[in-house]
Amino acid sequence: MDKILLAIEVLCGISLALTLLLLVAEFFFANYGDCEIDINNGDKKITAKGGGSLLSTLSEDKVFIPSACGGRGSCGFCKCKVDKGGGPVLPTETPYLSEEELKNNVRLSCQIKVKEDIAIRIPEELLSVKEFETTVESITDLTHDIKGVRFKLPEGETVRIKAGQYIQLVAPPYDEVHEPTSRAYSIASRPSDDEAIDLIIRLVPNGIVTTYVFEHLKEGDKAKLVGPFGDFYLRDTDKECIFIAGGSGLAPFRSMLYDMIEKGIKRKTTFFFGAVGLRDLYFVEEFAKLSEEHSWFKFVPALSGKEEGHSYERGLITDVVARSFEKMDNHEGYLCGSPGMIDACVRVLTAGGIPEDQIFYDKFA
Amino acid sequence: MKQTPDLDRAQQRMMPGELTLHGFLGDDTRKLVDIINEDGDAVLSRGVSHKQIADRLADIMEQGRDIMEREVNVEGRFTVTVRDDRGVLPSPFGDGCFEKGDCHVVDSETKSEFLFNGLTIHMIRTYGFYSGKGSQYRLEPAALIETFGIKPEAEE
Repeated sequence: MDKILLAIEVLCGISLALTLLLLVAEFFFANYGDCEIDINNGDKKITAKGGGSLLSTLSEDKVFIPSACGGRGSCGFCKCKVDKGGGPVLPTETPYLSEEELKNNVRLSCQIKVKEDIAIRIPEELLSVKEFETTVESITDLTHDIKGVRFKLPEGETVRIKAGQYIQLVAPPYDEVHEPTSRAYSIASRPSDDEAIDLIIRLVPNGIVTTYVFEHLKEGDKAKLVGPFGDFYLRDTDKECIFIAGGSGLAPFRSMLYDMIEKGIKRKTTFFFGAVGLRDLYFVEEFAKLSEEHSWFKFVPALSGKEEGHSYERGLITDVVARSFEKMDNHEGYLCGSPGMIDACVRVLTAGGIPEDQIFYDKFA
Repeated sequence: MKQTPDLDRAQQRMMPGELTLHGFLGDDTRKLVDIINEDGDAVLSRGVSHKQIADRLADIMEQGRDIMEREVNVEGRFTVTVRDDRGVLPSPFGDGCFEKGDCHVVDSETKSEFLFNGLTIHMIRTYGFYSGKGSQYRLEPAALIETFGIKPEAEE
């Protein structure tokens, strides 16, 4: 019996000693000191304490690489090109990287641990992405499952956006959510609005950020926004524009239209807004008024449901678009809505004669 | 099959608040490997495969798709509504992202309801994972096989 107890004591002692040894080793050897991160060949240099992930280290220094999973290695979005350092590619990265990307040293920034000086390259526009500590000025019920939220910028702060771009709203930890979580939303306010940013947000069941907005966010609350991002914006041509939106997809077109008005752009534009029933429509009066005031702009709400008592177009938005044009050979298409709606609209527009490279959309995917 | 470090990581990502608000496990406290093994037995004992089930669900979802998210009657028996949300949902297994949007199916004969999405179908097909018990996305393999008429491959 004594021998058994002695053996247990010895084992416990060895385990304890090994644990202490590991802790001491971690303290000395896992202390990477200050590391330099060179971005875009010297455009920006950051000196940061090593040990964290590249994604989080960059965001602590206000360089934001978009990510859909918050750095959990699950989405594969936070890619950057690594010119120096970063260690070998991890098995957790390879499912998200093509052969071409692997050959070109593209990595997932959330999987790179900063242990040494690193040189990376990221799209130039990400360097102008900023974080804004805003105040919720108003929350408006636009439909039964869509809210409009106006975020007031801090005094003296401005955001430079291209109409059509999106921004990430960061929900703080709440209930069972232990980490800040961000999701992308198209900006609905005009770029010249220096005071606030409008977002249009549809409730997503089981969604972390939309549930936060619908059940927790109140007027007067602080809210963090990061952006702007995206390359969905009006191209500089003289072609006739076809705008098509469904649900919360109306947001970027509101921004684009006000921008066109302010800049005196008078390209002939038709905005098709598809919904199922009257309860799904919003901002109709606002767009109808713009349509009255500007002869180059036409607003076409369309309802696909069987509801009576309205004079809007009837049918699927794709059918309404198709029957509105004899040909589309001098047009550009701009789409915003669900992936299914976008795919269906692309088919209609290409069949009408618009080349696919002149159809623009942002699926957030 | 044993619980591997990869399954540990996946199970951690399935917790509430990690990738989705309510997570993937419901109130199921078993190890992920045990959830997968038990459902695997239920499927195999009926002579069908996870792939057959996943294919059938994908087919139902495709038939029920409507760009305005209206209800669609599928096969004269199922009322299907497919939500189509913008954005993507990362897989807790760390193997890709899937478009958001749920498929809700009501069986007119049994009145039973099923909720799944592209990610659910992928996890069934690839890992034999049908969500934990108590999750709103939990799919009982036996109910799927029965309701959607999935026959052993030899009989097809």
